[in-house]
Amino acid sequence: MNLEELIATEELCTKYRVEHTFIRNLNDSGLLEIITVEKTEYVHCDSISDFEKLRRLHYDLHINLEGLEAIENLLRQVKKLQKSNLQLRNRLNLYE
Amino acid sequence: MDFIDYYKILELDKSASQADIKKAYRKLARKYHPDLNPNDKSAQAKFQQINEANEVLSDPENRKKYDEYGKDWKHADQFEQAKQQRPQGGGGFGGFGGGQQQYSGNFEDDRFSDFFEEMFGGRAGGGAGRGRATHFKGQDFNAELQLNLKDIYTSQKQTITVNGKNIRLTIPAGVENGQTIKIKGHGGPGVQGGPKGDLLITFNILNNTNFKREKENLYATVDLDFYTALLGGEITVDTFTGKVKLAVKPETQSGTKVKLKGKGFPKYKKEDQFGDLYITYQIKMPTNLSAKEKELFQELQKLRS
Repeated sequence: MNLEELIATEELCTKYRVEHTFIRNLNDSGLLEIITVEKTEYVHCDSISDFEKLRRLHYDLHINLEGLEAIENLLRQVKKLQKSNLQLRNRLNLYE
Repeated sequence: MDFIDYYKILELDKSASQADIKKAYRKLARKYHPDLNPNDKSAQAKFQQINEANEVLSDPENRKKYDEYGKDWKHADQFEQAKQQRPQGGGGFGGFGGGQQQYSGNFEDDRFSDFFEEMFGGRAGGGAGRGRATHFKGQDFNAELQLNLKDIYTSQKQTITVNGKNIRLTIPAGVENGQTIKIKGHGGPGVQGGPKGDLLITFNILNNTNFKREKENLYATVDLDFYTALLGGEITVDTFTGKVKLAVKPETQSGTKVKLKGKGFPKYKKEDQFGDLYITYQIKMPTNLSAKEKELFQELQKLRS
């Protein structure tokens, strides 16, 4: 694992002004992966946009952890349906 | 520039209390937040209107000005001068004092309306949520690119325009319909020295060919005349890159599948490797038989029974 691609959770807490328990709770729920390297906890830079989204939903919209899990599942389904809808529309174009 | 009714946007009337505004804002923000409405541009636009309405109405001073001038906002400066009440520096229409709650989101464009800019002189700094909006990375931009199936048989370079910038990119052969590729560093600018966001391009592949595509394999149905199917022979079939001759075995049944190895689509990011083309024979029976033909078929039938 390239350390340059990792951001320390401590740094995340400082920059985004979130409690460390929030990041740990996200990890426990499977919503964010914490990577531990030599006793320091990190998050991969590719997960930052997901983290930002979860932070906004939690702190701005006051959605609790269970709500975040439900939203993540539903958003996954929405994206899957959007993709399937796009493919069906493309197939339909063949007959129009 | 049209007058914008912020009360209407928040579904409130003019007598609404600060608590009502907060409640309405929170309710609508939960409904239209871009994180909860992926790829929904109308929800994003609505959310920006809600944010703007809240920024005005949740600040008592700005709300007062908005209520006072309403539709006559264009003449607000003259009114102010006449009343000689314009405070120094940043007062009057000079912007917001900050402190109200403002939800943030992953927007492609977070500009406020022309009406807002004209009336309040631009958005105040730090409006992205209780001072917690420090971001390392800029916003990701989303774009959709429509291509024909034939276009992606080979890798090709294209120039696309995103937010007024021309970006030259190479589209790898074999890209999938609905696939999104990330172009690092072509999104919005980073905050506080952070890296730029990424550009996410989703491909919408239109298939206007006679081939059905599943990943790198292609599928086609070919009509086969009755006699060739029965006695065997040679036919010419279309592949994605041209015609090929194909030997047909005698007594070929309808629905028989033939694999043409390597005549499919290129594998994604492995342009020298190709999938296969699967051809399904559909046998066409002769019609409008003459009396002689009928007689001969009846003879054949007798031989078989």
